[in-house]
Amino acid sequence: MESSTVLVTQNKVNMTFLKVKQNAMSLGLIAFLISSFSLSANAADIAAGKAKAEALCNACHGPNGNSQSPDIPALAGMPPLSISNTLYYYREGNRKNPIMTPIAAGLSNAEMKDVAAYYASQAREVTHTTKPENVEVGAKLAQQYNCTQCHGPNLLGLQHIPRVAGQNHDYLLTQLKGFKAMTRADMDGNMSSAVSAIKLEDLVLIGDYVAGLKSQ
Amino acid sequence: MIRKLIPLIALVVVQGALAQTPDAPPPWKQGISEEQTKSTLHPFAPVLTGVDAKDLPISSLKVPAGFKVEVWMEGVTNARSMIQSPQGTVYVSNRNGKNVYAIVEKDGKRVMKTVAKGLDTPNGIAMIDGTLYIAERGRIVKLENIESLLDNPPEPVQVVDGLDPTNGPGHFWKYMVAGPDKKLYFNIGSPQNITLPNYIQAAILRVDPKTGVIERIATGVRNSVGMAFHPVTKKLWFTEHARDWISDDLPNDELNVLNKVGENFGYPFCHQGDLPDPIYGKFGSCSEFTKPVLKLGAHVAPLGLRFYTGKMFPAEYKNNIFVARHGSWNRTSKQGYDVMRIVLDANGKVVKYEPFLTGFLTNDKGDPPMWGRPVDVQVIADGSMLVSDDHNGIIYRISYAK
Repeated sequence: MESSTVLVTQNKVNMTFLKVKQNAMSLGLIAFLISSFSLSANAADIAAGKAKAEALCNACHGPNGNSQSPDIPALAGMPPLSISNTLYYYREGNRKNPIMTPIAAGLSNAEMKDVAAYYASQAREVTHTTKPENVEVGAKLAQQYNCTQCHGPNLLGLQHIPRVAGQNHDYLLTQLKGFKAMTRADMDGNMSSAVSAIKLEDLVLIGDYVAGLKSQ
Repeated sequence: MIRKLIPLIALVVVQGALAQTPDAPPPWKQGISEEQTKSTLHPFAPVLTGVDAKDLPISSLKVPAGFKVEVWMEGVTNARSMIQSPQGTVYVSNRNGKNVYAIVEKDGKRVMKTVAKGLDTPNGIAMIDGTLYIAERGRIVKLENIESLLDNPPEPVQVVDGLDPTNGPGHFWKYMVAGPDKKLYFNIGSPQNITLPNYIQAAILRVDPKTGVIERIATGVRNSVGMAFHPVTKKLWFTEHARDWISDDLPNDELNVLNKVGENFGYPFCHQGDLPDPIYGKFGSCSEFTKPVLKLGAHVAPLGLRFYTGKMFPAEYKNNIFVARHGSWNRTSKQGYDVMRIVLDANGKVVKYEPFLTGFLTNDKGDPPMWGRPVDVQVIADGSMLVSDDHNGIIYRISYAK
């Protein structure tokens, strides 16, 4: 299962979730914590991942994965499976990018897991500020368009589903537009169809709202 | 007849218009009712980089007395469908991955080779007369004389295409099996959770690889991702995934038998043989359609199935069906994640349906609830049975010893 490694970020997700007024889910979350602890054989090597990331990734993705470029995604605080599955997609060709494709080509499965575990353990430092008029309506749209259903109530992601809260704004909006144009690869068409229902001005609004979300 | 059709025609027109509105939900949420809209149920993804067996609670897997389950091969990332050639090679497909692998025994060790890569959803594999056929998202390709070319496989050659004309989201992955007639049998799934399919969707088709002629042989099958021919009757048995977002317990996924070419199994009008659909049910009667031979459980995601024809298991297992249940996501209390055994009587009626391989499900309320997910079963030459797990990229082997 994905969380054979127990991660700080996953725990943060769960702690945040427990504050949310959804009693039925709390029990499930507690059970999940218990199950993830019992299965936490340390599969990934965070130290090796750190070394690899510093040598190969941080030049673009920023110190400890807090990318300083608005169009290059931050990786800090990402659920690890979302990173390792994405690297797999780049290496195998499900997803194509002129910069990431050759980089991923040189990574083994184990290295992908190590890098993912490292970035998941890092704290995200959100720099974007949502326009005040977009905060309330953005939260409503994120619920209405099913973002929170998969990405979690605070959009921190889980399992293979990436954290989008506080992601770099330009990168985030480019992905959303790419899903809408059906040019951006996704798993089983889930994101393309999620976004197809959203008109462009709402996408821009959502992008501004989500990019400014800070974690608890 | 026409009067009954008018509302249906109107529905088609309205549905076409509705599909354009901004309120259309993503496919996994399509057909959802008001009370369910706040649900946080979501599909799972496999660990594409694989999980090492040493990091998994393999010893918690359970099989009946006398049987043993062990890891047969790991590192088979996104292991999906399996077949074995007469020469003993085990071929393994991918769904989210893009490869097809061949596992051979060499000097007492198992070695994995990549015989095809860069394919689009190459989930279905079958072999006829030394040619390996692969069913991708939109086409079927072939690798001829593959056994003598495992280290230098040929480029795949197209057999037939046009199998995913919309290239959109939906049930576009395919299972494939070679028939006793040397034709290839495969599914084209429904494009949405619950909708009127087009002519080739929500169906089982077959193609003659020599001529490329395609026939539609079963309709009203929402999505079948597991098929096998009965060793004696030569009839096609297949599993079917029923729709989501009615309730936790309805409808059941199905085990069906094709008795006649052209049979209609009910989707989207009728589910599990006796449940009219909330939207489409008024346009047909369940009595018009073929019922399943067995209800497999709600949202259990049955995938590959095989008839046991080996010589290793005890006699009472002869011609039993083993079916892999991938396990649910669309249920608040998860179930499945196992291999079930189905016993038939002399008339092909189901007399027993019981667990055979369990232990992957650790917490039915968990997210995720499981650590592994069976996809396909394959009886191999020595009579043991392989089980693929796409979640971890591991293949297990179940054997029997007195």
